[in-house]
Amino acid sequence: MPDPPARDEDLVRRYLSGDRAAFAALVERHERRVYNLALRMTGREEDARDATQDAFLTVLRKLSSFRGEAAFTTWLHRVTVNACYDLLRKRQRAPLLDRGGDDLPAREPPPAPDHADTSSLSMDVQQALLQVPEDFRAVMILHDVHDLRQEEVAAIVGVPVGTVKSRLHRGRIALAKAMGIEQEGRAGEPGPSGSDESPGGPGFGERADAAGPSEGTVSP
Amino acid sequence: MSHPEDLLADYVDGTLAERERAVVDTHLEGCARCSAEIRQAETAKTALSELEDVPVPFGVTGPVLAEAGRRFERRRGVAWERFQWAAGLAAAAALIVVVALNVGGGDARNAATPAATGASGGAGAAAGAEAASPGVIHFAGIEAQRNVDYDDAGIQAVAAEAADAVVAAEETKAPQVAFASAVQDSKERTSLAKDCVQHSGIQGSQDVLIRLIEAEFEGTPAYIAVFSEGPGAGQAPDHIVVFVVAKDDCRILSTASQRIPPG
Repeated sequence: MPDPPARDEDLVRRYLSGDRAAFAALVERHERRVYNLALRMTGREEDARDATQDAFLTVLRKLSSFRGEAAFTTWLHRVTVNACYDLLRKRQRAPLLDRGGDDLPAREPPPAPDHADTSSLSMDVQQALLQVPEDFRAVMILHDVHDLRQEEVAAIVGVPVGTVKSRLHRGRIALAKAMGIEQEGRAGEPGPSGSDESPGGPGFGERADAAGPSEGTVSP
Repeated sequence: MSHPEDLLADYVDGTLAERERAVVDTHLEGCARCSAEIRQAETAKTALSELEDVPVPFGVTGPVLAEAGRRFERRRGVAWERFQWAAGLAAAAALIVVVALNVGGGDARNAATPAATGASGGAGAAAGAEAASPGVIHFAGIEAQRNVDYDDAGIQAVAAEAADAVVAAEETKAPQVAFASAVQDSKERTSLAKDCVQHSGIQGSQDVLIRLIEAEFEGTPAYIAVFSEGPGAGQAPDHIVVFVVAKDDCRILSTASQRIPPG
């Protein structure tokens, strides 16, 4: 009779006690989730590959210090998001010519479609997502694409839940704008985020209890 | 106007309690800006939820698993070498007994025979008896080299590498566990490969199996068996012979040899 699938934490313990196949099982179980998170974060297959490898290598290196105080998946997501941040930072430092032209976020938002048909819009979602600042992008991908609870997202990115709520809302509006969905409200009236709203782009004001974007990177 | 900013994400998620939802609904009736933002956020959320997972391209996690294997073998290698040290002591004691038994017969070659059989047939005290011989490499198990395709030059390189390992073993005057870092932890596959090697009839009575690789030879799945060959009688081996046999029917695909320079 086949055994029930082992818990992640049990696989970690088994690997550390000498079961080589246990690590392969962990990778196999989570590679799709890790790769897709990295792909949405970076927008490039090549970067997603690198980030996936970096994330799993970090997991491999630090597995012996994983004490299980957080769920393994929370830790894995955190490591992956951090690997993406590192890669995006490296890419920003790289000369512009080294970057694939197709992968650059468009300077101007794509033209607004005739009607708000979300199925046709979804084709541009990835491109639009790259125009949303990383800290907001990460929260949206984890919550809206990967269906993680706000509390779990908060644990992954290392900010209070209130900050997750705020980043979610501002990030979604920024994404809609990048997709060409303009606000239909009256111009001139300050939005919920008040003075943070600037004419040229979406407002990314955060709650007062929010950690700054730089704290989005948390060492595992 | 104060806006219920901290409730808007949950409003779009549909996770607000009824009372909070009513608060937002009332606000939205009088706030066009928030209403517009809610519509934008809903559009964005829907678009994100429609993004589909893509399959992981081939080979993404391969390097990670390879690194995991290397790390694992390094850890395991340390433990194995410690075990070998202890086994070496036991083997030295066994050799004294064997030599003592042969003193009357005068044919010291007999002492080498169980060592050769032991190496081809498996572990145990007989295999341990060769440990005190100079230039002896302990066979540690099969090495699976996935996606490695050897040709004749590659096989010759394997022979040369083995000769170097024997020389190194002679210089240290101690039994060596060469190639152990790459060894797979699979007794079943080791014994399967050994059966195939024996079936091919390539192993001579003085040949001692020191390495076994599972790989491909010019596209054919194959076992590569590396033997040290010598005059026996506890003397150092003077040749390395390498045979390549097909995994499916154990036929000989190729061979190479390398002289071991005398120490």
